[in-house]
Amino acid sequence: MPENPTRPDTATYLTARGFCLTSAAWMMLATLVGFTAAIELVAPDLTGNISWLLFSRLRPMHVNLVLFGFATPALLACAFYMVPRLLRTGLYSERLGVITVVLWNIALVALVITLALGVTQGREYAEMIWPIDVGIVVAFSLIFFNFMMTVKNRKEKILYVSVWYVLAGTILTACTYSLGNVIWQPDSGALVGIPDAILLWFYGHNVFGLLLTPFSAAIAYYIIPQVCRTPLYSHTLSLLGFWALIVIYTHIGTHHLLQVPVPTWLKVVAIVDSIAMVIPVMAFLINIWYTARGKLGLISEDIGGKFVFTGTIMYFIVSIRGSMMALPDVQRVTHFSHWVVGHAHVGVLGFAGMIALGGVYFILPRITGKPLYSQFLANFQYWMILIGVVGFTIVLTISGLIQGNAWLNGETVYRVLPQIHIYNIVRASLGLLIFLAAVSGFYNIFRSLISNPGETS
Amino acid sequence: MKMTPAAIVAGSLLILISVVLVVIVLPYANTSKTLPSDLFRSRTAMEEKGRALYVSNGCVYCHTQSIRSIDWGLGAERLAQAGDYLKDYPILLGSQRTGPDLSQQGGEHPDDWHQAHFTNPRYTRPLSIMPPFEFLKQANLDLLIHYTQSLGLKNADLRMERQTLWKKRSVNAYEAGVNENVAWIHDNVPQGWRDIPTPYPATEAGLARGEKIYQDFCFGCHGPVGDGMGPAQPYLYPPPLNFTILKGRGISGGIIYYQIMNGITGTAMPYFKRELESEKIWDVGNYIAKYFIDEIDANEEPKGIDASYEP
Repeated sequence: MPENPTRPDTATYLTARGFCLTSAAWMMLATLVGFTAAIELVAPDLTGNISWLLFSRLRPMHVNLVLFGFATPALLACAFYMVPRLLRTGLYSERLGVITVVLWNIALVALVITLALGVTQGREYAEMIWPIDVGIVVAFSLIFFNFMMTVKNRKEKILYVSVWYVLAGTILTACTYSLGNVIWQPDSGALVGIPDAILLWFYGHNVFGLLLTPFSAAIAYYIIPQVCRTPLYSHTLSLLGFWALIVIYTHIGTHHLLQVPVPTWLKVVAIVDSIAMVIPVMAFLINIWYTARGKLGLISEDIGGKFVFTGTIMYFIVSIRGSMMALPDVQRVTHFSHWVVGHAHVGVLGFAGMIALGGVYFILPRITGKPLYSQFLANFQYWMILIGVVGFTIVLTISGLIQGNAWLNGETVYRVLPQIHIYNIVRASLGLLIFLAAVSGFYNIFRSLISNPGETS
Repeated sequence: MKMTPAAIVAGSLLILISVVLVVIVLPYANTSKTLPSDLFRSRTAMEEKGRALYVSNGCVYCHTQSIRSIDWGLGAERLAQAGDYLKDYPILLGSQRTGPDLSQQGGEHPDDWHQAHFTNPRYTRPLSIMPPFEFLKQANLDLLIHYTQSLGLKNADLRMERQTLWKKRSVNAYEAGVNENVAWIHDNVPQGWRDIPTPYPATEAGLARGEKIYQDFCFGCHGPVGDGMGPAQPYLYPPPLNFTILKGRGISGGIIYYQIMNGITGTAMPYFKRELESEKIWDVGNYIAKYFIDEIDANEEPKGIDASYEP
């Protein structure tokens, strides 16, 4: 059971601080890159012939930076705070943690440079070349080791559900990352032909479902009961949600390949269990929402709780969308279109990103022992991101439906470009909101951590 | 259930291992034995180098190489088969169609069209939102074009043979002089088409629609005044046709329609039958005839049965 940790203690939380700053800083670059790429869809000659500003180089940079630069570090920051708290002990090694933060940032710098130069393995979410892959796997292994040793030294006998998710998320991601990046093939990081597609989408799916989802769930399980000042609704649902997620999420990656010549039985498995994803999703959401029942007033007063709770609503939307998209009849329209981009944004920014930021704002006062530098800026960021991500979802869903239905109806891709032009403009404008949110968030987090004028409570 | 650290870690790892066995290892066992498809061949060294450029410049983020049974556009004649991808390392199926699918792009256009297109995609396709790739420099552009022209493998080779054959013929005709060139173009239109005038009147609305089609599809090569001096012109040989010299040379609505519909293989003139429906082709034909050729046969005899919508 999460305790009520308003008192600062002797812990330094250096690792959590490091990951907070890492996330806040890279979120600015990640969103700036996404914003620039969105403008290029409207004005393709804007950056002329500058190779490293090419849309096709910015796009993988944006995706990888959002995933590994913004979302994951923020989620890790919360994990490095909450795991020791939940186990009533200190982190096994802050020093090792800080080394991990440094290693992580080196990997991110290398990621940006290589992708800008076009040094890529060309597989979605697995673009990074081998040395960076190794760096990331080592980082995950160090994190897992640090957590496991903390678990070993724990003073609290019972492991709370957040700890399950953090442990499983860390070790499973280390495994699927190595597997998906074909780490035993340093030159290419790929298999050949159709097996490569199957492996790639197994990974491309699980890098979200075994990294962002478990960590986000862990944070929601940790924060919502505290903000609501009430115990978690159900232990049984926690168990069901946890195991069902790992069993079901892991083998539905082939729903990305329903229209590709891969074995039919594999598609059937992917479709059926994409629908079965409703089980872990609703087990988690019912648990959280029932915990929060009647307590929305408390949630709206806590900026961390507000972000996290909104994130759970986004999780509902993205999951229902995800299950729907796995239906072959739906996918006939949605596949290859902006609909999928909308899905990605509501998932990574709306769900994982909102919960990650909520986690950061929740732990910042508890790490520093001082109030947040600015409640206003945090609220500003909340609304900018909420408007941005809801806008993305609407705009990209509409333009995805326009594309998909036009193609299905026999129009060529070229003919549909003018029809989605206006939506691309709105999309880019919304990107500006997200970028501004990232900048204000960085300033707020930086000031909260580094030069916080607030009184120590 | 007691959630001990061992139960969590070992349990989730065991689940992952069994899932990997089912969804990765098992399919690998049969997909790795896929036989070559009818169009499969290995790529040449130059084509592989071009493919590496395709990877490093992120072409895969906007172009799929995965034709589905529901597709209509380029390449739709040939549904993707597992045996097409045997040497794709990594496979480049793509996940977005910001641009067209390229599975069967090889031989769709001659090399010079690609040269203009990579230099700036809007030279050949005015509405394109693809970035310009001029920075690649000529040697790399050549490699990229080589790879592009191999897409579709054996089918691409057949189409490339056709491009080479007709390139030679079209260059010969162009170099023989204007009269010979125009005669050659007309001679390649079946007689039935040559004889028919545009069946629709060149109304103000129809000409306005034709102008829009012209600007969206034709402008890049044939230029704003139809003299063949569009921005793509310096890259193309034979150069785009100058419409303004066609007056009095036996042009007809049917000839214009046929050439737009079918294209002129070997030259940069693509076929537009996939992109433009019948009325759009007649409208743009009228627009070209009226404003650039200054000789229009719209709505002349023989007309056949009067169209019901005419005023």
